[in-house]
Amino acid sequence: MVPLGGQQTGNAMGQFILKRIGTMLLTALCLTFVVFFLTNLFPNLEKLAKTQGNARMTDAEVLRWLDNNGFGDPMLLRYGQWLGVAPGWIIKDEESGEIIGRCIDFGMDPADAPRFCGLLQGDWGYSTVSDDEVTNIVWGRLLLTGKLMGWVLIVMVPSALIIGVLAGMREGSRMDRSLSTASIATTATPEYVSGVIFIVLLASSTAGISPWLAANGWFEGRTLFLGSARSAMDDITFWNFTLPVMTLALYGMGYIARMTRASMAEVMTAQYIRTARLKGVSFRNIVLKHALRNALIAPFTVIMLQIPWLLTGVVIVETLFNYNGFGWTLVQAASNNDIELLMAVSIVAVVVVLTTQMISDIGYVYLNPRIRIS
Amino acid sequence: MTQAVETSQRVHPAARMYAREFKTGQLSRREFLVRSTALGLSTAAAYALIGGAPASAMAHRRTPPMGGTLRIQMEVRALKDPRSYDWSQMGNITRGFVEYLVEYNADGSFTGVLLESWGANEDATQYTLRLRPGVTWNNGDPFTAADVAANFEGWCEAEVEGNSMATRMGSLVDPDTKRAVEGGIVVVDDLTLQINYPKPDITLIPGIADYPAAIQHRDLIGTNPLDHGVGTGAYRVASYEVGVKAVLEKNPDHSYWREAYLDRIEFVDLGQDPVAWLAGAEAGEFDMNYETVGEFVDLFAAIGWEQSEVTTAATVVIRPNQNNAPYDNVVVRKAIALAVDPQVCLDLGINGQGILAENHHVCPIHPEYAELPPITVDKAAAFALLEESGHADHEFEIISIDDDFRRKTTDAVAAQLRDAGFRVTRTVIPGSTFWNDWTNYPFSSTNWNHRELGVQILNLAYRSGEAWNESGFANAEFDALLDQANGIQDADARRKVMVQLQTIMQDEGVTLLPYWRSLYRHHTPNVINAEMHPKFEINVHYLGVAA
Repeated sequence: MVPLGGQQTGNAMGQFILKRIGTMLLTALCLTFVVFFLTNLFPNLEKLAKTQGNARMTDAEVLRWLDNNGFGDPMLLRYGQWLGVAPGWIIKDEESGEIIGRCIDFGMDPADAPRFCGLLQGDWGYSTVSDDEVTNIVWGRLLLTGKLMGWVLIVMVPSALIIGVLAGMREGSRMDRSLSTASIATTATPEYVSGVIFIVLLASSTAGISPWLAANGWFEGRTLFLGSARSAMDDITFWNFTLPVMTLALYGMGYIARMTRASMAEVMTAQYIRTARLKGVSFRNIVLKHALRNALIAPFTVIMLQIPWLLTGVVIVETLFNYNGFGWTLVQAASNNDIELLMAVSIVAVVVVLTTQMISDIGYVYLNPRIRIS
Repeated sequence: MTQAVETSQRVHPAARMYAREFKTGQLSRREFLVRSTALGLSTAAAYALIGGAPASAMAHRRTPPMGGTLRIQMEVRALKDPRSYDWSQMGNITRGFVEYLVEYNADGSFTGVLLESWGANEDATQYTLRLRPGVTWNNGDPFTAADVAANFEGWCEAEVEGNSMATRMGSLVDPDTKRAVEGGIVVVDDLTLQINYPKPDITLIPGIADYPAAIQHRDLIGTNPLDHGVGTGAYRVASYEVGVKAVLEKNPDHSYWREAYLDRIEFVDLGQDPVAWLAGAEAGEFDMNYETVGEFVDLFAAIGWEQSEVTTAATVVIRPNQNNAPYDNVVVRKAIALAVDPQVCLDLGINGQGILAENHHVCPIHPEYAELPPITVDKAAAFALLEESGHADHEFEIISIDDDFRRKTTDAVAAQLRDAGFRVTRTVIPGSTFWNDWTNYPFSSTNWNHRELGVQILNLAYRSGEAWNESGFANAEFDALLDQANGIQDADARRKVMVQLQTIMQDEGVTLLPYWRSLYRHHTPNVINAEMHPKFEINVHYLGVAA
């Protein structure tokens, strides 16, 4: 086999990234169309009209509201308007002569308004339930979720690797058995179960261990931890952020630890480890200097693939702990049929998932020289 | 034309009559207050009339110290044109800067806010509203009768989608033009406005005390108060994030016409799940809540919060819709009513947190309530009626929203009907889609908020062809009697009509209405004037925190 030169590797890598970005765009297009289609089914539009107008509107009022707010056009045309390839709708009020339109902001002269105002023009649209621009909402919420996920990764990855390595270095030992059992238990417990257990045990002044500790005078305050992470949105403390972080981290931790253990156990049976052992290298040095690096290749991919999973876990944990991040926004947008916010959320989700996968693939190439991109 | 009677000048003769009735024990204190203040008596004058010390609602209120921040757990919804507000929560936030003409107090009386006084003529067709002098908008404009007239014009625009004030304006809306009738709203001078109804109407004052009746600047009718922030109140919006948090802060550029105490009020939205509210209370995320429901009343008390309770005409109706077979048959409806014991619904639906009702929509705290013989429950007779109607094999589907007391009460109804031998299926619809079609479900439950007078809900929900008439009830005799009742300002005289209205509702089996709910609120001990209100109102101007 002819070794690849630097130039060629660069080209191959460039093509690979381009292909991945192409896939990402295509996926985003398909997904947003599906979301658009579902949110624009008539019963959903009716619900939208009632939340925006009045919860107790009549059918005739609903139809009038939909027509007056640009939902009268065919669905494909409106998808084009959202994307920015079709001109935005314009409606003229027969009586007052007032012109309103998708691209005409409040107080703007209709003559000055652009013809197109969709995603391609950088306009992400308007969130009906929040009564605000989608861009104003999504980025702030993403930042909050970023903080949560960051802390989860900081807690989850090192502890999962340590547990996995400790369990895998002596396969079948008592330590391996107990750590493996614990890992399986945490992975098998979904967030909505562990979260509730944590709240009952640690964040209630009438149940769990907080009243018991307080009765013994071992701590000050109402509860050991807070069962609501609302205050963490302004100011993250150990007190208010521990439970959501632990709920999310435990679930992923067990899984990564199991993968690390399997990888570690396999490496520990390799020929070169046996050779090192026969040469009299201490067990500690074998693990740290010879086995560890090779054992961490497999978990790397798993960790990257865990990020999309975290994104789904975030939906549950943020709702449970009332932390108004990205996952919470997704739930709110879906339950209120907030079309354009939901579309934006889907795009962001697609980008996050495919980007982490791409990073995982590229990182794998560098960690393991045997794999090549072709 | 009959002479208008002014609060400040002369006491309405009917009010004197009420006072006599109160003294002879025919009227409760609350009923006396509702009726006399609705006729234009100030609360203090009303108390003076019955010889009591002015232990008015105002006097019940303590004077809090100046300053401080209060956090209130309440849903933060997207705001819109106040006329189309459909949640009291919207009004609670904007009440900090767009105020109301009149305020309904928890004791059943009305107090003027932007009105100093009001009066009605003898047959309740002409009202004279006197504005409070010295009130200014926070943009510097003086508050005048032109502002109030513009709001009345706006309220009468029946064609505006979701404008629920149009219904409250009653006959002031011209059915042809869908706007205010000619000569209905007359500006007498800068501080006096006259309202002329084509036919008698006694619901004007309660109507303009309701949360969609926020008074906007004359040039800003039909706009969202959040967009312009113009109002007469002491506060302004510092931030507003729907579903998360809204913050009001004292407006330093505006001199408010009375005292306001708090510097800052934060409305914290913790969603619709009471479990999250309790978790938030435990975590110290807020100081008072909007409402405590069901079993959480005991839980909030258990963590040491103070409780405030008020009995109201808020209720849940489980009604068949008469536009659907077999509910068009009165025998079927009567069979249903005969099979359901309200006491069971009260116990299972809301843990007994309320008082029994009688399958008609007039509550004992309404001034014109007439006591009817107690309703009978006879499961065997109910099934016999059902067989007589020929629908014994019908599968009754009862729909409810997927939410706490409404679901449980509907379950209790379904279980009792099954006990009586009816074939019943229960369908639970999530809150996000339930309201899409709430007026048309064949048999479903709906919650109704408190109204001040008995006739008000009857006008909204049981008159033929009304938008919110969810039972499909159309009865010419009932409508005619209701028109008659709407013109009788004397509650005793009106009660004679109410007897017939209430009896028709029972005889026609219009709805199951098992109980009237008590409402609860909890707050930490340092919060001042956070008492629960029958209409969930929070007026941030009164609130305070102890130092």
